[in-house]
Amino acid sequence: MHEIKIAEDLSAIVLETAKEEKLSKVTRVNIIFGQLVQIVPEIFEFAFKESVRDTVANDAELFIEIVPVKMRCIKCGNDFQVKENRFECNVCRSTDLNIISGKELFVKSIEGEQIWK
Amino acid sequence: MEIKIMKNILDRNQNKADEVRKLLELKKVIMVNIISSPGAGKTTLLERTCEEFGEKFRIGIIEGDVTTDRDAQRLKKYGIPIVVINTEGGCHLDSHSISKVLDYFELDKLDVLFVENVGNLICPSQFDLGESFKLALVSTTEGDDKPDKYPMLFREAKAVLLNKIDLVPYTNFKYNNFRSDLKRINANIPLFEVSCTRGDGLKEWFEWISGQINNLN
Repeated sequence: MHEIKIAEDLSAIVLETAKEEKLSKVTRVNIIFGQLVQIVPEIFEFAFKESVRDTVANDAELFIEIVPVKMRCIKCGNDFQVKENRFECNVCRSTDLNIISGKELFVKSIEGEQIWK
Repeated sequence: MEIKIMKNILDRNQNKADEVRKLLELKKVIMVNIISSPGAGKTTLLERTCEEFGEKFRIGIIEGDVTTDRDAQRLKKYGIPIVVINTEGGCHLDSHSISKVLDYFELDKLDVLFVENVGNLICPSQFDLGESFKLALVSTTEGDDKPDKYPMLFREAKAVLLNKIDLVPYTNFKYNNFRSDLKRINANIPLFEVSCTRGDGLKEWFEWISGQINNLN
């Protein structure tokens, strides 16, 4: 259900940017989600569509890139991808880790046109 | 044409959370964001905690509730400041709603502010409230698979409480599954196995939380 709030915040950023850039139409929105945030893409797309209805982003297509969970080992410096929720360095077995990716809720860019009739 | 944005979608929430955190640090109040499923025992945990610390610490409570104030009614008897945030169906609290209700508290007269988030294991984990730390509360009757299903919460929390251990004989809950899954996800996280109704294990929790309050103050 958090998809709804996140979709609303995304549409606010998209519409604000479209206004600043004087876009007549937003055609595509590129976003990045980390695997840890557990967003259901279908619900998110539905919520986004609803929140941009009858705006310049009415027909915008949503492109969601899901990035895997990656950690860096504080002890040995190894970067690795977390599989099956195993948060342990796959080289030295240390569990002192920093997250590199996996928590993203990012809007990367929008694409659009400036054709005003 | 493509316009680069590269921005956190929850920027607005994050900025407000940063403000809340700064204010609470200045006032030397620690804020504990309690996240659990509905019915895991958040309110009962707060009842026991208020009974234990009523004299020792100055406690305030923010109750996130979907529609009612029933949890707040249960806590009224302790005579501590409580504010209810009704989310009107919303599945989580956010930093803006927290910031608004902070005005109702005399922060100079508080040591700790417990936030009872809306019962849900996914959504509240995404929204920083400006808390000092998150606390994950799960109960044995929910099954032993919660850490594996909701890894984000168990990575982000500073401690885990496993409640209703008195009911284990009536469930298929396996301690080994729960402990090993939690260890795989967050090896160093403190785990308190308790029964908030019967009192088992609460001593260790009280010691830990008073240590946290004393350290941050």
